[in-house]
Amino acid sequence: MQTVAHGDVHTQDTHHGDHGHHDHHEQSWLEKYVFSTDHKIVAKQFLITGMMWAIVGALLSVLFRIQLAWPDETFPFLETFLGKWAEGGKISNEFYNALITMHGTILIFFVLTGGLSGTFANLLIPYQIGSRDMASGFINMLSYWFFFIASMVMFSSFFIQTGPAAGGWTAYPPLNGLRDTAISKGSGLGFDLWALAMVLFIISSLLGGLNYISTTLNLRTKGMTMFKLPLTVWSFMLTAVIGLLAFPALLAGVALLEFDRLLGTSFYLNDIIINGNLLDYKGGSPILYQHLFWFLGHPEVYIIILPAMGIVSEVISVHSRKPIFGYRAMVMSLSTIVVISFLVWAHHMFVSGMNPNLGAVFMLFSLLIAVPSSIKTFNWLGTIWRGSLRLNSPMMFAIGFVSMFITGGVTGIILGSAAIDIQLHDTYFVIAHFHLVMGVAAFFGMFAGVYHWFPRFYGRYMNETLGMIHFWITLIGGYAIFFPMHFMNDIPRRYYSFANFETFNRFEDMMVFITVSAIIVFLAQLLFVVNFFYSIFKGRKVEGEVCNPWGSTTLEWTAPVERLHGNWPGELPTVYRWPYDYSVNGRDFIPQNEPLKPGEVEHQ
Amino acid sequence: MTILLSTVILVLLFVVLVYVAHASELAMVLNGEDKDTTKASRRNGYASLLFLIGFFVAVAWSCKEYLPALLPKSASLHGVETDRLYNEGMILMFLVFILTHIALFWFAYRYNESNNKVAYFYPHNNKLEAIWTIIPALVLVAMAVTGMRVWFDIFDVSKRDTKNMMVLEVTAKQFQWTVRYSGKDNAFGERIIDKEHVSPENELGINWKDAKSHDDFFADKIYLVKNKPVLVKLGAQDVLHSFFLPHFRVKLDCVPGLPTQFYFVPTLTTKEMQEYLSTQPWWQQVNPETGKQKWETFKYELACTEICGRSHYGMQKDVVVVEQKEYDEWMNKQDSYYKTVVQPTLVGNNNIPADKVQALN
Repeated sequence: MQTVAHGDVHTQDTHHGDHGHHDHHEQSWLEKYVFSTDHKIVAKQFLITGMMWAIVGALLSVLFRIQLAWPDETFPFLETFLGKWAEGGKISNEFYNALITMHGTILIFFVLTGGLSGTFANLLIPYQIGSRDMASGFINMLSYWFFFIASMVMFSSFFIQTGPAAGGWTAYPPLNGLRDTAISKGSGLGFDLWALAMVLFIISSLLGGLNYISTTLNLRTKGMTMFKLPLTVWSFMLTAVIGLLAFPALLAGVALLEFDRLLGTSFYLNDIIINGNLLDYKGGSPILYQHLFWFLGHPEVYIIILPAMGIVSEVISVHSRKPIFGYRAMVMSLSTIVVISFLVWAHHMFVSGMNPNLGAVFMLFSLLIAVPSSIKTFNWLGTIWRGSLRLNSPMMFAIGFVSMFITGGVTGIILGSAAIDIQLHDTYFVIAHFHLVMGVAAFFGMFAGVYHWFPRFYGRYMNETLGMIHFWITLIGGYAIFFPMHFMNDIPRRYYSFANFETFNRFEDMMVFITVSAIIVFLAQLLFVVNFFYSIFKGRKVEGEVCNPWGSTTLEWTAPVERLHGNWPGELPTVYRWPYDYSVNGRDFIPQNEPLKPGEVEHQ
Repeated sequence: MTILLSTVILVLLFVVLVYVAHASELAMVLNGEDKDTTKASRRNGYASLLFLIGFFVAVAWSCKEYLPALLPKSASLHGVETDRLYNEGMILMFLVFILTHIALFWFAYRYNESNNKVAYFYPHNNKLEAIWTIIPALVLVAMAVTGMRVWFDIFDVSKRDTKNMMVLEVTAKQFQWTVRYSGKDNAFGERIIDKEHVSPENELGINWKDAKSHDDFFADKIYLVKNKPVLVKLGAQDVLHSFFLPHFRVKLDCVPGLPTQFYFVPTLTTKEMQEYLSTQPWWQQVNPETGKQKWETFKYELACTEICGRSHYGMQKDVVVVEQKEYDEWMNKQDSYYKTVVQPTLVGNNNIPADKVQALN
């Protein structure tokens, strides 16, 4: 039996005592469901807010796809809904830029960072490490409410006179560094709201991240050593580490940008001439902003994909009835990604005008970061090999994740090569790459997680039939949208229309095909939302004393179906074995809290 | 009306789907869950196989259909090298894509629970893991090294043929390109960015007192000479822009307050490129709008690839590559901006532009 440091036990005991006190205190509705400090409620809040944002973000993409597919047509209903932004039923070029900007911002930060990490780190870290709650429930609650306020501020920018930010989600100065709506409508108040929302969002992220790390390090139950943690917990903790190191750089970047805009400093501005008038800014560099931005911006894609990787590792192993292949290699590759993710940011800047020698260094690391990613991919393949695969919604989405991750990942190796990037930079090829590898793939990871842990959230299953329709439309449709873009490897992105160019008018039919696919995929996601809310109330119930619908080994499934405050009614479970004892010793699975048999050797 | 109708139809469709889904769930409970999930796994196993085949057929078809629509061969010297890197890399990655997808969806079919009742406990294999760590690492380092060589070739100053070189100055602003040639003296008049020199009439801040500026001219098209190296000096006035010549594989940002430059050698005249394309079936297709074959209207173009505001998509300029002789003829026809526009507005001999004179009065 594993012995545990005394301090560990002590912490747990104190925490347990704390909890006992809470039990006697009747919580008001507001405390229980709105300003809740319970990790499960906070997780639900993140999930549902994230879903709302996902619908908004995806809807924006449908709008600009309509413009791209039918640039000459008019759609009167657009004017009905958008008013002056679509006069005569045609989206204006200003609003087109706002749409792409907000689409990127919302999906990257509010859905795939806030929604994904916020949901699953909150739900799973306390459950899977055998803890009653997060290290600080109060900070956890703050994390959600900062996220909520950030959401409100960001959303409000849609309704102001000059419209939301319209200078790209990367918010490069000087386009976004001058508070001058003559340059771009979106660089007025809309951008200030964007910046404020981002600051609030970063605060939320940092509060959440601190909690994830300290909870994982300090509140593990008796016997739960680091190498007995499920890969989900590893991935959430390492994601939080990246966030803690990277987000402050963006905070600084955005703060300096607002100084330039509001106080007239020149951090990023130099020799700006507007309509023949030289402005007073002197000595700044727009490239400095790009460094600060991408110092977060690149690790950010790992903040998005690491939780998805963790979820997928867990889901694949459970539904293959087989241990994850190479557990330690998976942990090591996650950690390697964390380190290298901070050494690749300038591959977004190969053609920004920075020193070419710098480009060479970043190119080397950009290619090398593919090594841990390929280890993970091969290990997933190794896991399903000779498994007994239960091909249900969570498993199919996990397989879909691997497929998307490979297809999008291989082109990353092409783009990471600086000389090739000269041609491909800011083209549809890049759109194909990053949407597949971190957009669609991360969504697949998120869906796998929602279908898999829905019984843990609500004590019911999600509907399988709807899940399957959702999966196959999303898989086929996702490829239909993004695969064709690989052929458009010279077509510039963020173009409202290609009519001014002879060169770029070669893919009109493809543009229509992509838009139609996007609309179908969007509708399929609405079906998912319907399934989600339908299943909360009408879904098939999970039966049994404890909630363990999939035959899993990890601790979240040793708790009762009811979501108790404090998770377990009696004592916290003690851990004796690693999390992946599937199909071993003639048994389908052995839970982590089952003691080793006499003579049984612990898995290393 | 159509919108309303389609919304109603959609809602109805969703309601029907939910009912069907609910019914099948009830049936599943009646049938016994285990039997039912095995059946679902078998169905999805077949579907995975079908998807694998369908996906590859779609990929093959789209390659056949759209690879000919890609940009033609590079019209610059370094572009041949970057294209080669791109093609080699894409072939390798395509192989990886094919093999891993066969494994993924084949396994999904082959080992789904209806085909394989009991999973094989196989937690790790250090040798295998070492193999799939070391091989990708070696391949990636090799790609990095070959890629780096090409990268340095493109930007290495010491290798440039500076004697025979043509210098071009391109300044971007919302939403147009200003192209300045140095004229016969092969030297640009100096630019001074201060409030004295920059004005609505002289946005570039050219110092007209500098005699070298007197034969400089602005061109509405970029003319380049075949096989003559060109150094483009890039700048921007207001926001970031990016100088993109797709056919020459040239791209570099134009940054306000920070000069950048790109060196390349055009190798095919516009005519030669058209002649080459006239032999390609895709380019022989007739464009219904113009009634001409696609190669006939082919031209080299300059585009902006850094979002710069509402008309970002409108920053187009024609690029023409010609032989030296034709270039000389074209150049002789260009008027010096100083002589045609600036000088007539000067008052007396003191070289003060008219707008400044008014200010003095």
